Amino acid sequence: MPRVQTKFFGSLEYSPNSVFLFPGGLPGFEEQREFVFLNLPERDPLIFMQSLTTRNLCFVLLPILVVDPQYRLDFAPEELIELDLPADPPPAVGKDILCAAMIGSAEGATPTANLMAPVIVSLKKRIGAQLIRGDSGYSHRHPLWFEGPALTC
Amino acid sequence: MLVVWRRAGQSVMIGEDAEIEVLDARANRVKLGIKAPASIAIVRKEALLTRNENLAAAWSMDEASIESLLSKLPR
Repeated sequence: MPRVQTKFFGSLEYSPNSVFLFPGGLPGFEEQREFVFLNLPERDPLIFMQSLTTRNLCFVLLPILVVDPQYRLDFAPEELIELDLPADPPPAVGKDILCAAMIGSAEGATPTANLMAPVIVSLKKRIGAQLIRGDSGYSHRHPLWFEGPALTC
Repeated sequence: MLVVWRRAGQSVMIGEDAEIEVLDARANRVKLGIKAPASIAIVRKEALLTRNENLAAAWSMDEASIESLLSKLPR
């Protein structure tokens, strides 16, 4: 098994099946094309998106439905082509695609999730992209639920 | 904020060199044509926001913030 040098977990073995190709990179990281997705039981539900080539680059993500169980995800035809996904039936989260939100904290603030630009990967083709949805109404700094007003059951 | 009404085919100038023309206007969106010097970066705002968020996400999450986040997550 090949090994990858990770930002947070030292050197780890990884399966070639867990490498995802981002043909266009990510905004701000256009030259980064290959990432390993690490889902460690003791860090569940966090997903670590580790660059295969740059040890110090590892994004922290949460499954989008963990952040917002009602998250609506519609694909434009060109987005389905980009990810080599069939249009019909629409891709199912968890089965056909992984849909996750990038977590970050700007200027020392509490972490927020970028729901405006989810990271989508095709689980079958192992191709990914960060899809920017300017007209979705979702925030690029969505407060995580525990930072917002208390939810009532 | 300066607010102006424009119709399809009309423009606004920003300084001497940058022009934004409304090419087409529909009920819920407009098509813009932009002419500007190559030194001016033109990007959709949401792409710039995402780029900045990605850059911040790459350096802001360290082991302490990951542990803090995990301690607050329902598991």
